[in-house]
Amino acid sequence: MADALSVVLSFPPENVAKLSAKKYEEEVHTYMKRLNQLPPTTWTKAIDKKNLLDFLNPEVNSLPYLATLRAQTDTVGKDRKAIEHLVNQCAVFFATFDPIQVRYLGSQWTELVVWLLDILPKLGISDHSTVTTAMLRLDPTAGTFTSTHLRLLRACLQAGVPSQALPILDKDIYAFPVDQRKEIPDELLSEDVELSNGFITPKSGFTIKLKPEYVLEYYLLGAHIYIGRRNFSRARLFLEYVVLHPSQQQTVSALQVEAYKKWVMVGLLAEGKSYPLPKTHGAGVMKNIRAVAKPYDVLAECFERRDWRKYQAEMDAGTQTWHEDGNLPLVKEASTALIRYRVMDLQKTYATLPVSRVAAYLGFKPEAALQYLLDVISSGHLHASIAPSHDNSAANAVLRFHELTPSMTNLTADNELAAQTKRIEDLATYVRDADRRLQLTKEYVEHQKRQRRTGPDADLADQMDLTWDAPVPGLGEEGDEDIMAS
Amino acid sequence: MAVNGALPPPTFDLDAWANNYEGALLPLRLAHVATRCPPLARQSLTTAISAAKTGKNVQLYMRLCELAGHLGLDDLRTPDEAWVSKQDEGNKRELSRLEGELRGYKNNLIRESIRMGQEDLAQHHLVTGGPLPDLSNPQSLSTAGYNAAYQAFGKMRDYCTTPTHMAAMTLRLVYSAVLMAVNAQQTGGSAMHHFNSVLANASRLRTAGVKEEEQVKLTPIAIAMTGIAHLGQGNYRDAAASFRYTPAEYNNLGPIHGADFGRLVASANDIAIYGGLCSLATLSRQELIDKVLGGTFRVFLELEPHMRKAISLYTTAKYQACLDTLQRYYSDWSLDVFLGAAVIAGGNGSHVDRLFALIREKSITAYFSSFSEVSLASLASTFPPTTYAQTAMEDEVLSMIDSGRLDARLDALNGVLIAPKSDVRAAVHAEAKRAAEEVERTLLLRLHKVNAALAGLEIPRSKAGGGVGWGEVAAMGDGVY
Repeated sequence: MADALSVVLSFPPENVAKLSAKKYEEEVHTYMKRLNQLPPTTWTKAIDKKNLLDFLNPEVNSLPYLATLRAQTDTVGKDRKAIEHLVNQCAVFFATFDPIQVRYLGSQWTELVVWLLDILPKLGISDHSTVTTAMLRLDPTAGTFTSTHLRLLRACLQAGVPSQALPILDKDIYAFPVDQRKEIPDELLSEDVELSNGFITPKSGFTIKLKPEYVLEYYLLGAHIYIGRRNFSRARLFLEYVVLHPSQQQTVSALQVEAYKKWVMVGLLAEGKSYPLPKTHGAGVMKNIRAVAKPYDVLAECFERRDWRKYQAEMDAGTQTWHEDGNLPLVKEASTALIRYRVMDLQKTYATLPVSRVAAYLGFKPEAALQYLLDVISSGHLHASIAPSHDNSAANAVLRFHELTPSMTNLTADNELAAQTKRIEDLATYVRDADRRLQLTKEYVEHQKRQRRTGPDADLADQMDLTWDAPVPGLGEEGDEDIMAS
Repeated sequence: MAVNGALPPPTFDLDAWANNYEGALLPLRLAHVATRCPPLARQSLTTAISAAKTGKNVQLYMRLCELAGHLGLDDLRTPDEAWVSKQDEGNKRELSRLEGELRGYKNNLIRESIRMGQEDLAQHHLVTGGPLPDLSNPQSLSTAGYNAAYQAFGKMRDYCTTPTHMAAMTLRLVYSAVLMAVNAQQTGGSAMHHFNSVLANASRLRTAGVKEEEQVKLTPIAIAMTGIAHLGQGNYRDAAASFRYTPAEYNNLGPIHGADFGRLVASANDIAIYGGLCSLATLSRQELIDKVLGGTFRVFLELEPHMRKAISLYTTAKYQACLDTLQRYYSDWSLDVFLGAAVIAGGNGSHVDRLFALIREKSITAYFSSFSEVSLASLASTFPPTTYAQTAMEDEVLSMIDSGRLDARLDALNGVLIAPKSDVRAAVHAEAKRAAEEVERTLLLRLHKVNAALAGLEIPRSKAGGGVGWGEVAAMGDGVY
C-alpha cells in the first residue's frame, strides 16, 4: 500500500518550477499512466486508518486529490455525515487546486462539479460559491462557455438564489469550445495559453457537447436574473445575444421570441422607449419574430406616444397573453413606469410648475398627484423638490425640477471612462482571436478564393494580398493552389 | 379662396400696381385682391372684368361675374350675355379652323408647319382658357382648361428641330404650368403637381443647349420660376436659395420668345420680396449677412428698400423693429397671388402667415439666446402675441419648447423662461461613456455571432420549414444533466 502512496506522491517532482513546458508534459503523461495502473481501490481504501486525502495537499497534488474525491463520491453511499465531510473536502479542493494540473483530468473535474451541484440542494445548502470559485480558479475569465455555466445557472435558480450565479454571469463569454484545427500544432496544455478556449475544447472534458439551445437558455435565464436585479443594460445585452443568435435559413427559436418580448419591455422600463434594433439583426428572422410578438410592439407604440389610457386598455385586453408568456409583472410595471415617464417628460419643458397643472396633465386629483410626485421623487427617479403652498392645499404646491447635475465627480468619471477603455481593449483581444480562428475556416478561404476570381472589376487595392510571402523556390503555382484548397 | 380674414387696404395704389402686370394672370391677381381685401373689391373687379372682356376667355369672365355676385357687387354680377355668346361662338370657330389647319399640316408632313400649327392651337387654348370640362366624365378634367394648353405645347416637342425651338416650347410650358397652379389655388384645388411641372420644365430650361447669349436670358427665368414653385410648395429654404441666386439680369429682361416673365408672372420687385421673406424665415443671422445682404441678391433688395431694412434690422438683433416693418406690409404681400395663396389647398393660413410665424419664432429663439432668464411678460412686450388669449405667449413658448425649436425651460409659477445650464465637460463625458458602452455592446454582440457560427451553434433549420421552430423547446429537455 505504501507503494501506491509513493506512486501517488511522485508528482510533481521537486524541480517542477524549472521544467520546460515540454518536459512537464512528458512528466505528467508518465505519471498519469502510472496512476492508471494502480488498482481502483487505491482511492477508497484507508491507509494506516487514514483517508488517502489526508496525505495529499490539494494545491500540490491536485491530480490524485481530484481522482480520490471523484472515486469516493461514487462510493460514499447515503450517510449524511460522510457526504458532508466530502463536500467540505471538495470546497477545500476547489478553492486551492492547481489550475494547470486539472487540465489533464477535465472530465473528472466536471463530474465532481456536477456531483456537487446535485448534492447541494439535497443537503439544503444554498451557497453555491464553491462552484463559482472553482470555475473562476480554472478559468479566471470564465469566458469560454461550458455546460457547467448553464448547470450552475439552473442550480442557482432552482435553489432560489439567482444572485449566486452573478460572479460567472457578470463575465462576458468570448468563445465557445471548438476543436483545434488539424493544420495547426496542438498547444501544450501546460503552457500558459493566452485565452481559456485554448484548453477548454470539446475533447478536454470540461464541457459536454453543446447545442444551440443551451446557449440560448443560458442567456435567457441570465437575462431573467438581471431583470430581477434591475440591471437593465446587462439584461439588454443578454436578450440581444439571444435575438441575434445566428440561424440557418431564418429559422426562429421560441426562445428568441421570448427574448424579444422581454427585450421590448426592458426597453420601455429602462429608457421609456423601445431600444433601437441592433444593426446586425437578420431582417428575415426579425420579421418572423415580430409576427409572433405583435402585441408587445403595440404596447411599445402606446408607451412611446405616452398614451396611458390606450396602454391601459391594451394591457387589460391582453392579460391572458401576458400571463401565459410570464410577462404580466413586467407589463404591469411598465404601466406605472409610463406615468413616471410622463412626469419626467415635463422637466424637458418646465423648470417650475404648480402641482395642479401636473394633476390636470395626468388626469389625477391634486392630492393624488402630490402624493404620486412625492413617491417618484423619494424613489430617486425624479430630480425635483416640492414646496408646499401657504394655504397647504395640494393644488397650490409647487413642483420644482432641479438641474440635471451629473452625480459623479470628475474623478469618478475619469475612472469610469478608463475602466470602459480597458474593457474594450480586452475585448479587442478576444475579437482578434475570433478573427484568427475565422480565417482558418474553409468557408473563409473559399470566400477569399472567390474574391480573387472576381477579376478586373474589383478594386485593385482589394485584390492585392498584403500578407503575401515570397514564393518558396521549387514550389510551383499548382503547389500553391493545393495549400489554399486543403 | 378659402383664406379667411379681410385685409386692410394695402400701401400701394391698385391701378399703378396692376399696370406692372399683363397677360392671363392679371385678372387672377385682381380676383385674389377682391376676395381678400373688401375695400378694394369693387375697384379690382371692375378692372378685372373689363380686362377679361378685352380678351377671349369667356370662362374667366363668367367666373369673375360670379365672384362679384358672391361679394355683393350687384352691378357687376350680370354678365354681358351678347358678348359672351358672340365671343364663345368666335372661339369655337377659331378652334375648329386651327384644328383643321393642323390636320392639313400633318397630312403634308412638314415638321416646321406642324410645330407652328401646334403652337397656334396651344396659344388659342391659353387665351380662351381651354375647352370646358365634360361634367359627366371626370377623366376629361385633365384635358380641360389650361391643361389643354399645357398638353398642346407639350406636343410641339416632336416637331422641334433646333434647341431654340425647344427652349421656346419649354418657356411656354413653364408659363402654362404657373398659370395652372394659380388657377388651381383659386378654385380650391391642389397646386402641388403643377408646381412640380414648373420645377421640371424650369430645370430643362437651364440646360436648353442653346447658344450662350440665348442661355443667359433663359437662366434668370428658370431660376426665378424654380423659386416660385418651391415657395408655392412651402419649401421655403429651397425657395430662398433659388431667389438668392437669381441673376440680376432678371430685372428688365424684356420679352423672351414673346413672353415677358417680369410682367406676366413676377416682377423683379416681387422676386426681392419673395427672396427676402424666405431668407429671413430660414437663414441664420450670419447667412443673412453673408449671402443675402452681401451677395448678388443685393441688387434685387435695392428695389424694395423696406425689405432690405427689415433684414438689416434682424441682423442687428432689432427683432421688434424688424417684425413691425414686416407687419406694415402684411396686407400688400397677402394680396400677392403667390405669397397670399393658402399653404394647404382649402386650408387656413397663407404663405405670408407661415413665413411671418417662422420669422417670429426665429426672432424669439435668437432673442432668448442672449439671456439666461426672460420673463414671459417682457417677452410678450417685445413680441406681442398674435392672439388675444390669456395664455397666448405661454402656449406659443411651450409649443416651441416641445417641438425642440427653443432650448429653454418654463418656470410656470413666476412666468419666467429659463435657459438650461449645460455643463459641457459633464455632457462630453456622458456622451463619451454612452458611445463607449455602445461600442462595447456592439463588439460583444458581433463576437457572439462569429463565435456561435464558428462553433457550429447556429439554430438548425426547422423540419417544418420556415416559421418559428417550436420543436427547439421540446428538444432542450434536461439533456445537460
